[in-house]
Amino acid sequence: MTAANLLLIVMVGGLTAYALLAGADFGGGVWDLLARGRDAADQRRLISASLGPVWEANHVWLIFVLVALFSGFSAAFGVIGSTLALPLLAALVGIVLRGSAYVYRAYGGGAAGPDHLWGHVFAVASTITPFALGVTGAALATGDLSEGDPARPFTNPFGLVCGLFAVTVTAFLAAVYLCRDAAASPATEHLVPGLRRRALGGALAAGTLAAVLLPLLWSHAPVVAHRFGEGSVPFAVASAAGGIAALVLLWRRRFTAARLAAGLAVAGVLWGGAAAQYPDLVVGRATVASSAAPEPNLVALLIAIAAGMAVIVPSTVLLFRLFARPDHSTD
Amino acid sequence: MTAGAVVLASGSTNLARGQTAFSLAFHICFAVFGVGLPWLLLYTEGRWIRTGDPVWLALTRKWSRAFAVLFAVGAVSGTVLSFEFGLLWPAFMARYGGVLGLSFTLEGFAFFAEAIFLGMYLYGWRRLSPRAHWLTLWPIAIAGTLSTLFIITANAWMNVPGHVREVGGKVVSAEPLAPFLSPAAPVQVVHMLLAALMCTGGVVAGIYAVGLLRGRRDDYHHRGLRVGLTVVLACAPLQLVSGDLAARVVGARQPLKLAAMEGLFRTRSSAPLSIGGFYDEASGTVRYGIELPKLLSLLEGFHTDHRITGLDAAPPADRPNALLVHSAFTVMVGLGTALIALAALVAIVMFRRRRRGQRPLLPTGRLWLWAAVATGPASMLAMLAGWEVTEGGRQPWIVYGRMRVADAVTAGGPGIGWTFAGTVTLYLGLATALVLILRRMATGGPDPDARDGRRSPEAPVPASVGPGGAR
Repeated sequence: MTAANLLLIVMVGGLTAYALLAGADFGGGVWDLLARGRDAADQRRLISASLGPVWEANHVWLIFVLVALFSGFSAAFGVIGSTLALPLLAALVGIVLRGSAYVYRAYGGGAAGPDHLWGHVFAVASTITPFALGVTGAALATGDLSEGDPARPFTNPFGLVCGLFAVTVTAFLAAVYLCRDAAASPATEHLVPGLRRRALGGALAAGTLAAVLLPLLWSHAPVVAHRFGEGSVPFAVASAAGGIAALVLLWRRRFTAARLAAGLAVAGVLWGGAAAQYPDLVVGRATVASSAAPEPNLVALLIAIAAGMAVIVPSTVLLFRLFARPDHSTD
Repeated sequence: MTAGAVVLASGSTNLARGQTAFSLAFHICFAVFGVGLPWLLLYTEGRWIRTGDPVWLALTRKWSRAFAVLFAVGAVSGTVLSFEFGLLWPAFMARYGGVLGLSFTLEGFAFFAEAIFLGMYLYGWRRLSPRAHWLTLWPIAIAGTLSTLFIITANAWMNVPGHVREVGGKVVSAEPLAPFLSPAAPVQVVHMLLAALMCTGGVVAGIYAVGLLRGRRDDYHHRGLRVGLTVVLACAPLQLVSGDLAARVVGARQPLKLAAMEGLFRTRSSAPLSIGGFYDEASGTVRYGIELPKLLSLLEGFHTDHRITGLDAAPPADRPNALLVHSAFTVMVGLGTALIALAALVAIVMFRRRRRGQRPLLPTGRLWLWAAVATGPASMLAMLAGWEVTEGGRQPWIVYGRMRVADAVTAGGPGIGWTFAGTVTLYLGLATALVLILRRMATGGPDPDARDGRRSPEAPVPASVGPGGAR
């Protein structure tokens, strides 16, 4: 195993963490946007409370992956920067607005405009980011890029469906996670049926979109599709199994287990895609070999990452354990 | 290249520079609080735990709420920066991303730790014992300080690069620790950390001084002023020492930057120190400034015969903009000097009041309070001016002596203008909203729930979320 490959595996791990943790935070924003009816206010409250302590830490996984990319595979980052500017800028606008709107609503007390206004900004921004990141990811697989035409990634059908798929997946994850949060406290138990319906619907929608994506992958990203057929089938099977298990577990109201199954379903898609992408980073433009930094730098990077993870992983576990249970003293 | 293409290229370079400068300046105005505030909170919350005095708790609660908002905006604007390096300077990142990798990776982890423990701190008031809650501040404070250290090493390497071998424009080998080995790193790190503490202390002092000026002459405002003012005024003289060390590294490693800072055109010994004034490019002199003969040579080389490189040592295309750099340097040094003078005056007055047995020691007359109000904007402005000196003085290089800014920029021309305009609009909108929110927080006095003594306070549950709301 070369240092470059090891770094790639670590990056896919970081991306998985980002998708499963921050993805659900964005998905919460999607449900905030779609909240209707008399429970809407309660739903928004639950979503906001579930984000509070963790969203910033979850967000850092993206920075981790990004920094690993430009440190380890600088040339690929150069290509991405000069061809994918538009979707990345869209994702950034979403990230900036989502984060700011969240704290402005939470701490502003109406000083800078009504809270519901910031709530809408939060919700819309939360939807933009996964869409834009989905389009970006798809463009890496299709290689349908051009320095002179920044809007190109948004014209690719596979890219657009990927963006939609990313939004659906984050919404699905969020609904599954929220089911357990809501069920854990009598104050929010009445939200469970609605969230469960949303989680089931999200699972079906994500499954349908995945079925649409497969033929599109073959027609728009033949290089990756070929490798997908050769090596990614086990991941796809794991993902499908996770999705079906999540459906069954949601149906039987086993919400904790459903979280794990949903996580497996999403992780399977990512891993399958990553395996099929290898050894390209940007199809047709940058490969692992062409863009890897010198070996000693990669080794130093890996050592730094190992040392950093030794601090971060236990701290993250501590954070999630601390806020795993709802706060009963508020009842 | 046709003339039109040259104009377009230089236009897009300037836009990319403007965009980078603007987003960096925006980010750092928030980042300084991420570095400084946790140390202040460690003090105030520590005092609360030891004394049970509700005023300390009230200060802690207020600052932690402000911290939550400032940190979030700092975090998202920092994310923009890490993307921007690739979006605006793809050639720079493609060539040197690997060299700077360790700095950015470690900075990422420090930021990670800060975000994780901040989550515990902000939302853990009721889930943690007061002592455990206070302890979560330590990793926040340490990580915030370390993230400054790591990111500044990257900038230091861009200013004084070394420990890499390049063949034909490609890095063939780089020592992983290269950014940490840059001679500029230690002085720049110390200078920025002190600046972050000064900005935090100054703004805190300023807010409470405004409260006192409005007649809220209570314990809460007095103590808030005292903590903030102590930090900014204690750091000011130290900043002079660290700035002096930094200038000596600049003189040795980036002589043209020093020449631009001082507005020195002709290479010479017995070089004078120019204070204030404007650098006039046509005549190569500083106009309307005060010139202290031989002092620059003395400061840099401890000898009046010490030879100082002037701007004339390089062809015009390789010189930084001396008008800009000298003016920024003047602003930074002028404000720094004023803060040191204020520190000295306050120290003298406090010493005299103590001998006379007067309390409080800190003078709180109207003039003194106005001076305290000014320490906040003065520190922030000096910090921004200092960055203009560092970055403007490096021009026309993005990596000093190795890569020009013009060679690092992205090829896409017309889109950059729109991006820049969008960034400015978005950031100004967010900043306006933030100022309104912070003003509300500042004028609200202590939070009502923070007044009832030793009891662990309620979690700072967001107003629209929590039961009953915070307000």
